[in-house]
Amino acid sequence: MLGKLKLTYLLYPLLILCAMASVEVFAHGVDDSTRNFLQNNTGVQILPFMYIGAKHMLTGYDHLLFLVGVLFFLHRGKDVLLYVSMFTIGHSLTLMTGVLANIQVNAYLIDAVIGLSVIYKGFDNLGGFKHFFGTQPNPKKAVLIFGLFHGFGLATKIQEFQLPTEGLATNLLAFNIGVELGQLLALMFILLAINYWRQFSSFNKFATTTNTALMSAGFMLVGMQLTGYFLQ
Amino acid sequence: METNQKSRSLLKATVISLVIAIVVLVLFILPAEYNIDPTGVGEKLGLTVFNNEAKPVDTAVSKQGQQDSVILIVPAGKGIEYKLAMKQYSKATYEWTTESGELYVDLHGEPKGDTTGYFESYTIATANEMKGSFTAPFEGSHGWYWKNKSNKDIQVQLIFNGEYAIEGLK
Repeated sequence: MLGKLKLTYLLYPLLILCAMASVEVFAHGVDDSTRNFLQNNTGVQILPFMYIGAKHMLTGYDHLLFLVGVLFFLHRGKDVLLYVSMFTIGHSLTLMTGVLANIQVNAYLIDAVIGLSVIYKGFDNLGGFKHFFGTQPNPKKAVLIFGLFHGFGLATKIQEFQLPTEGLATNLLAFNIGVELGQLLALMFILLAINYWRQFSSFNKFATTTNTALMSAGFMLVGMQLTGYFLQ
Repeated sequence: METNQKSRSLLKATVISLVIAIVVLVLFILPAEYNIDPTGVGEKLGLTVFNNEAKPVDTAVSKQGQQDSVILIVPAGKGIEYKLAMKQYSKATYEWTTESGELYVDLHGEPKGDTTGYFESYTIATANEMKGSFTAPFEGSHGWYWKNKSNKDIQVQLIFNGEYAIEGLK
């Protein structure tokens, strides 16, 4: 379904994506103007929070790398939908409960686990689990579980600001919807690129290289976040 | 045989990815993010620049020698005020010219926190241009009051520099 979408349908969101993705890319921090807004806002602000959510997702390379890994070998629209839903359910659950129940998790550790999720997916795509352990961990469950961690990661970003409780649930919901919209845009971009590439023989030739690179990026994220954790 | 090869290629992929990650982390990411630069490469590439203590720059306070300029319109029959916040003994130089016509001007200062309406005038004149400097005798709001006594709007260009924070039109 999604895989069969015509190129032209994907072009419009792509344009919007290009317009939205700003030069500054932050996987961990939030830029100054957003910070300023978050700390001074009062009451319900649906669109700004949606925008921040979408922007966070689109500029959060840790989330995007994981999605690339998850989607790499999925070419059936049904599978794409299923896996993306698992991821969405996972991160929405912990994003909402994490903030509303005020569960404090260390942002560095959570981001390290998110880096780990990228390594896992790269290794899984290389066939590593099947080969060494005989079975592959249930990929759907894995996406759900890592989705939970990604949600905690999102929650820590919001919690940094100690938002006023007034309108918090609504703002959070708006942020969450923004995250999903951002994810949708990112997905279209990723799917477009992967599905286009899949048509060529180079896709299979470079599948190993790509997933190795993915693992490497995951290791970098883990190393960066753990260093941050020990330095804080 | 084949599983051995698969194992080897998997190990190879893992090791390569780990090695690349460590190299990139040590050479680029750690220097840039945390100022940890064991090899000195980050410093050479200028990546540690992000960690230099941010100098407190008060953007509103002009640096010495930096010139500010503003074009204002004094409406016919009305007066406007343009002010600078200055500390005691800080200095400002200025120059202003009207496009056409003369303005009544009162260059004065009001002490910070004063509620009595007290002000001290440094210059009072009616002119179409003026050049000068002043040193603030006290901390507060210093600047120009122009009054246009004609029946036509008059445009005035003000150029100034010194130690102040612009308060602007009042």
